[in-house]
Amino acid sequence: MKRISVRTNFILTTIFVIGSGFFLLFADNTFGDYWSRIITLIAIYAIMAVSYTLVNGVTGIFSLGHAGFIAVGAYTAALLTLPIQQKAMSFFIEPLIWPLNSIQIGFLPATIIGGIVAAFFAFIVGYPSLRLTGDYFAIATLAFGEIIRIVIQNSYSITNGALGLKGIPPYTTVWWSWGWLLVTIIVIGSLKFSSYGRALRALSEDTVAARAMGINVFKHQLTAFVVSGFFAGIGGALYAHWLTTIDPRPTSLGIMLTFYVLIMIVLGGLGSISGAVLGAIFFAIAAQWLRIVESPMNFFGITIPGIPGMSMLIFATVFILIMLFWRRGVMGKKELSWQYLYNLFLKKVGDQD
Amino acid sequence: MRKVLIVLSIAVLLMTVAIAAGTIKIGVAFPMTGNIAAFGEMTLQGVKIAQTLYPDVLGKKIELVVADNRSDKTEAANVVSRLIDYNHVAAIIGEIASSHSLAGGAIAEQKHIPMLSPASTNPLVTQGKHYIFRACFIDPFQGHVAAVFAYKNLKARTAVVFTDVVQDYSVGLSNFFIKDFVAKGGKVFREFYQSGDQDFSAQLTDALAKSPDVLYVPGYYPEIALMARQARQLGYTGPILAGDGAEAPQLIKIGGSAVNGVYYTSHFNASHPFTSVGKQFVAKYESIYKASPSALAALGFDSYLLLRDAIKRANSVDPAKIAEALRNTKNFEGATGYITIDKYGNTIKSAVVNEVKNGKFTYVTTINP
Repeated sequence: MKRISVRTNFILTTIFVIGSGFFLLFADNTFGDYWSRIITLIAIYAIMAVSYTLVNGVTGIFSLGHAGFIAVGAYTAALLTLPIQQKAMSFFIEPLIWPLNSIQIGFLPATIIGGIVAAFFAFIVGYPSLRLTGDYFAIATLAFGEIIRIVIQNSYSITNGALGLKGIPPYTTVWWSWGWLLVTIIVIGSLKFSSYGRALRALSEDTVAARAMGINVFKHQLTAFVVSGFFAGIGGALYAHWLTTIDPRPTSLGIMLTFYVLIMIVLGGLGSISGAVLGAIFFAIAAQWLRIVESPMNFFGITIPGIPGMSMLIFATVFILIMLFWRRGVMGKKELSWQYLYNLFLKKVGDQD
Repeated sequence: MRKVLIVLSIAVLLMTVAIAAGTIKIGVAFPMTGNIAAFGEMTLQGVKIAQTLYPDVLGKKIELVVADNRSDKTEAANVVSRLIDYNHVAAIIGEIASSHSLAGGAIAEQKHIPMLSPASTNPLVTQGKHYIFRACFIDPFQGHVAAVFAYKNLKARTAVVFTDVVQDYSVGLSNFFIKDFVAKGGKVFREFYQSGDQDFSAQLTDALAKSPDVLYVPGYYPEIALMARQARQLGYTGPILAGDGAEAPQLIKIGGSAVNGVYYTSHFNASHPFTSVGKQFVAKYESIYKASPSALAALGFDSYLLLRDAIKRANSVDPAKIAEALRNTKNFEGATGYITIDKYGNTIKSAVVNEVKNGKFTYVTTINP
């Protein structure tokens, strides 16, 4: 079988990235603000999904605490970029503590700090709970995710408690979000295909065998968990500056968000980075596009009134169909590489794998 | 066969035809599905009644574009963006929950499209915004009304305030009540709970040990009903005071006879409309839905009328002019009373206090700003 050379691969990828850049530029300018927002949201979801798939797919440990790290990143970055005047207005129950009440920094450093703080939390959560395996680990991370949310909910002098933060500057643009997505894919992609990533995949298949080969299971899992936490924090920071207001409700930065991201990576294929991106694209676009079925329709001269909730019904049906026919998600564990596309479309009958 | 099906379903989706030209489009961003769908449903009923009674303005029909925010904050922002960019609405009625109005309001403000919330009482919603308005009073006023009512009408001197720490609404309202009640010379003790709690005996035992004259519970109806039951079991016979979150038929369903003697501040009482528009609204509502309207329906009704009135006075569908006209609303006769909108986009109007009496929401008094 013909292998695509490293050089061809590199050239094609560069062309693809530049092409995507031009497409985004075109889309941002012609599709209107509504679709610009959705395109930005796609990249934010994709960052959350790619970072999640590093833990749940590649490393094969089932974490349910992702939204906790997203929330940490969102709050940290938002508290750093909120204008000082806005802070004074919003914190009317208990004033914000020093020094947060008197600093305001730029978007890029705030996002990075948001990621670092989230990574730190991932370390604190991961260090004790990674000693557990399987379902026990899932429950421990679920609990930690909720603890983070409840701490946020009750720390009035830091996070404004249940009132949430508002008036966060809308810094997140198509460029910031897709730029960060590129960084996320490059970092997590090279991690997945390094010797380190091979060790992760080995221990996701069989922990005992991997340990027998001399892989330090705990250290590898913890590193994956912390890297995942870092990018979850970045995703959270971008999300906060996209939505401009955040609060610690279970439906906004709580367990529901973890489930949304879980749906994306399961749809796309657990362990596949390109699958996670596809899942995020599908999730964000379908949710908006299906709104059409909720508006009144003129169907062969008969007007059908819009039924709210109809789109969610179709959405759920599509999920079930995908899970029935592609049990392992759209991509499975494969990556959408040039080689994959070549094999898919150009491979002649009779070629050997 | 499969291909035929796919092609057919795509064709169906593409066949959606935008209805009619020459109308004035008003967006409605409500939660129609999800955990607060009931609120969206009730408010939309009021909006639709107003549309039936007053279908046009400036010689054009008003077309409502209803968009569901799925009780989700991200979607709350998306629907506002969609209504503006995709449906090209002149103004928006929405959203219900304060947290949703904050998310959607940021977009409307940025796009300079007036947005009028029927029921978001949190002061942050309109703060620092020029295009965001509301048809309801704000929490500081509601807290003030509760404090005045507790101190003057109930002659209470000691109050125990129960705060639902998960709800920004409850946290805000508790604080405003305490501020006013203490300023009048009352004494306040605090207890905390959260939405979804079932057992309040620990907090109630602690509260009743302070021998309070009134319990103030500014939360939502499920917890208020349960708390009332448990308080009565512990032997408390005094009044329980709540905010507008208490108003739902489920309060009486869950609470039974224990909720008799629960007072709550609200926007409206169907058996006691102050204005002729209010009477007209109640009559029309009862003839269509065979039930008496809720405060949320009345607020939805008023939101539509306020917007229609603003478009009429602006004599234009230019969003900036509509916003300007809304800000100059003076003594407008709505179903919930005479409404004045101040320069911050907040509404100044009177509040009513209702009481649950023999399983019915009964009017007690009106408190003016």
